[in-house]
Order: sequence, then C-alpha cells, then structure tokens
Amino acid sequence: MATPLLSRARVQNALPVMALVVLTVIVGTIEPTFLAPANLLVVTADTMTLFLMASGVTFVIMLGCIDLSIQAVASMTSCIVAAMLAQYGFVAVPVAVLAGALSGLLSGYVYVVLRIPSFIATLAVSGVMTTVAYIASDTRSVPIPAEARDAWLFWATGRSLGVPHEIVVGLVVLVVLGGVLALTPFGRYVRAIGSQEQAVHASGIAVGRVKILAFALSGTMAGIAGVVMGARLGSGSPTLANEFLLPAIACVIVGGTAITGGVGSIWKTFIGALTIAVVRIGMTFLGVSVFAQQIVFGLILVAAVALTMDRSKVAVVK
Amino acid sequence: MASGSLAGQRNRFARWRGLAPVGVLVLLCVVITVISPNFLSFSNLVRLLSGAAIPLVLVMGATFVILMGSIDLSVEGVVALAAVITSMLVLNDFTSADLGLLAVPVAVVAGGCIGFVNGFVHVRLKIPSFMATLGFGFAGVGVATAILGGFTVRIADRGFRELALGRFLDVPFSVWLAGMAVLVAWVIQERTRLGRWVYAIGTDEVTAKHAGVPVERTRILVFTLAGLFYGLGGALAAAQLGQGHALMGTGRLFTTITAVVVGGTALSGGVGSVLNSVIGVGIVIVLTNGMVLMGIPPYVQQGVQGLMIIVAVALALDRSRLVVVK
Repeated sequence: MATPLLSRARVQNALPVMALVVLTVIVGTIEPTFLAPANLLVVTADTMTLFLMASGVTFVIMLGCIDLSIQAVASMTSCIVAAMLAQYGFVAVPVAVLAGALSGLLSGYVYVVLRIPSFIATLAVSGVMTTVAYIASDTRSVPIPAEARDAWLFWATGRSLGVPHEIVVGLVVLVVLGGVLALTPFGRYVRAIGSQEQAVHASGIAVGRVKILAFALSGTMAGIAGVVMGARLGSGSPTLANEFLLPAIACVIVGGTAITGGVGSIWKTFIGALTIAVVRIGMTFLGVSVFAQQIVFGLILVAAVALTMDRSKVAVVK
Repeated sequence: MASGSLAGQRNRFARWRGLAPVGVLVLLCVVITVISPNFLSFSNLVRLLSGAAIPLVLVMGATFVILMGSIDLSVEGVVALAAVITSMLVLNDFTSADLGLLAVPVAVVAGGCIGFVNGFVHVRLKIPSFMATLGFGFAGVGVATAILGGFTVRIADRGFRELALGRFLDVPFSVWLAGMAVLVAWVIQERTRLGRWVYAIGTDEVTAKHAGVPVERTRILVFTLAGLFYGLGGALAAAQLGQGHALMGTGRLFTTITAVVVGGTALSGGVGSVLNSVIGVGIVIVLTNGMVLMGIPPYVQQGVQGLMIIVAVALALDRSRLVVVK
C-alpha cells in the first residue's frame, strides 16, 4: 500500500525543513539584508560550531540516551588547545580531540558498564571535565597567539575562495557522520538499539560496545567543536561553551530526532542547527536581548520534545 | 529454606547499605580531624553548618522528586530567579522596593510556580522530567538575566541579611531555617499521604496507579514542592551573599544531586529518605571543608563531586529492577 501523502511520518520529516524555510523568509522580510549571500555565509559559518557539537550527540540521542557533558568537554578541549598550541604546534589539535574522545569513552563506560542512567553519568563526567579544564588552563582564560592560530588552525578559521572554512568543516562532518549513520553497521546498530534494544541484544549484537562507541563519538565531536570555538574566539576558557548545551540538544530535537531513540539523522541535526541560528538572529533583529534568548530556547526545546517524542515506546514517563 | 535465607541476606545487605552513608560521614570526619585538628573547632563547625544551610534546603525538594524515580535539573534556574526576585524586593540599589522579610515568601512562591510548570509540562505533555526541567531551568536563568541585563543587585537591607548573618545560640538563623525545612520535609514524608504516594510511585508506578494513587496530581505536587524549597534556597542565597544576579545558582545542581545520591537515595526511585539526604549534605560539605583545610584548590571540588556521584550511584543502584538503562 502506498504511503498516504500526509502520513504522520512524512509530515514529521518535512516539518523541520518547512520551519527553517518559513523562519528564514520571516526574518528576511523583517530585515532584507539578512538574505544577502555574504550574510548567509557568515550566519552558516557561525552555526557550524553548534552543529559540530550537535552532530555527535545525535548518535547518543538516537540510542534513546542523552549526553549532558558536551559543553564541559568542548570547554576543556578549548583550554587544552590554547595551552599547547604555541609550544607544540599542530600536535595540540589531535591531543585535544583525543581528550574529548576519552571523556566520551569515560561517559560511555560509566553508563554501560556501571549501568548508571546516561543523564547522571554524563552530568558527573561533566564535573570531572570542568576540573580538568581548570587544571589545563590554570583557572583563567588562555589566549591563542594570532601567529600560532594562523599557522595551525587555518583549516578551521581561514577562508578559501570566499568560503569560511567552518562551513567546509561542517559539510565534511555532515557527509562523513551522515554516511556513518546511514551506511555502516555501527550506524545501523545505533538506529536499531534506539528502536528496540532488547531485540538487538537478543540477535547477538554487542549492544554495550555500540553504545560506548556512540558516547566516544559524541565526546570526539564536542572536542572538535571546542577546538574550533577556541580558534574562532582566539582563546580557550573553562566556561567557554557553557551556554551551548541547551542549543546543541535543541538542534538535534528541533531537526526531528526523537529523544525516545531510533528516529533521526545527521542532516536533520544540520537543519535543526540552521533553524536555531535563524531563530537566534531573528530575535536579535527584533531586539530580544541575548540574555532572554535562553528562555526561548528552553521553551523551543520542551515544545520540540513534546512534538517528536514517540510515547508508545515508554510505558511510564519518569 | 533457601529462599528465606536469601531474603534474610538481602535484608541484612539492605540494612548495611542503609547505614553506609553514615559510616562514610563518620570516617571522613575522623580522617580530616587527624589531618587537620582545626576541623573540630567550634568556629569551623559553625562554618560547616552555615555552608550546609542552603544545600539542605535544596535537597529537601530534590529528594522527593528523585524518590519518585524522576529528576529535577532546574535547581540552578529556580535558585537564580528566586535570589534575583528577593534581592529586588528588599531594600536594594536597583529598585525602590523595601518589603524586608516579606520578600522571602514571594521568592518561595515564585519557585513553587516554576516547579508547578515543570511538573505540569512533564505530566500533561508526557515529557521526561529531565528534559522538561532542563528546559525550564535554562529558561529560569534566562528570565533572571533578562530582568537584570547582566547587572548585579546589591542588597542594602541589614534586617534581611540578618537571615544569614544573625545568630541564635551562636548558630546562624539560616541554619535554624534549614532545620525547619528538614522537619517539614520529614513530616511530609512520614506523616502525609503525599509522602506515602511518593514512595508508591517510585517503587512501582503502574501498581500505584491501579491501587488508586492519583499519580499525575502527586507528580505535579511534588515538583511544585521542590520548587518551593528551591525558592527558599534562593532567598537564603541572596541573604548570604548580599546580592542578586543571574549566576547565583551556578554549581547548586551538582551539589544537590551529589548530596541526594551520596546519601543513599536511589535514582531508580522508591528507596531513600530526606534523612538520607541530610547525611548526604553532611558528606559533601565535610569533604569540601576538608579539602579547603588541606589546601586543595576549590575548582577540584566539582571533579571530586562528579566522581562521588558515579561511585555512589554505582553502589546504590538496584540493578535487579532495571532491564534497559537509558
């Protein structure tokens, strides 16, 4: 039987894209300069750090779990890269990303092996990572010298043919992680575990290993996001990414990935990130203070969760 | 009988586990006293108590939520908002209000309102509590920042600040107030239907519902109650620091959750009590104080608390009840 034109699944798939288009048009009507190509490029480049954080956490959310440590991980890697770059050069970048991966691995281990609910496991790990960040930065904001940045972080902050490199990095991540989720066995297992964990377990797949890997991926992407953030701001600090946890999770949910797991994709998160960016800019044009924007993001998050959640999967909502 | 002895073993184990937090607290006190004899001086004990006052008030609310098997991540947002509201209602340099101590009940009610919204949205929209409270917690910080625009309110009301600075029998008023909060929470837990319903929901929500427990109403009520306690905590924070700004809640969530789980209340619900959480606050505060006395930098505390959460939850989790952990 053919799927009806307006099936629930189709509407849910198309809704985020439609929301993005409508919001862009609205903001463009209020402020026509917003739609200028040069401005759109800047807006997209600004959004990519958020997308990097959100792309990794998408895997975790698709498992039906959550990662509340990404902002702490990103702050930590910004400190590591800032503290090491001038002295050690490019080595600082892989070291920082590796630190992010290890943090994700730790979260995954605590969650899977110790069987601690993921929101508590990652909350606890975020505390540990904040302390690591304070130690790495000696409790202050660490500047990244401009020469060192131009030499080693040009891949993140430079421009080629007029295109900011953040966008290139974002697109590479979109393609690679999109491919991982859609085409590899790992991606298939992530989707399967999110839909029906016990069935996957019964079919002999090492569920625990897949989950740990997903958390490690989330930590890695948060780590990369921290490096790019630090590079853009020209400094690393233990509180650099603190305001990004809520928007990052909102990107994933607004894009149409359900927190109950199973449903979702990286391009949805990409759309979600752009939507959040357009909303943010729209609010700025309308004169909503930067401070008050957290209120809107909080409400958007709750509304998006309510819309995308699959309630047939959870007998009791705790 | 085999099953009988197994049950006996289980009981003995459960009793041992119930006393473990007290043992940890005593052990910590002994170790710290040996390293730094100053620990037991009267002035340090008073310092410990006044440091414990706000966390005590906050955990009283969080304990009930966690006993239901839910979680409340809105602590920081509610504390910040309540503190900002309080600081703007007493004599201050930002508004012309001068309500004095009347500001405290206003802050408590404001906290209760956010708690109610948390509970209402969680229950009516069937959103997991960690998501609803995460969203509204951030929104709370947002409201607090939007009101002040980054400004810090300075409180000029000496009478109001007496709440934290004034003393009765050499112990700060805030500590007495926290003691009363504990008493209220204990009475609710032990002597009211609400208290019994919380345990019933935490142990087995479906059965509780079949047995006639008004699950939805109880849930909303418990989140509201938690908000009331956070509101009081925010007012006390304003009195203690003598100011109000949007980041007043920073770090409170971490301490609160650490104290509840370290005290032995299980995240899976149904196991624990407000008295457990009192012990939990004791452990967190004594450890923090001990680290200060030993000269360990303050920023290490969050990391240590994070590890404490992991260890405590790993030890306390009753895994037989969990099929799939998310």
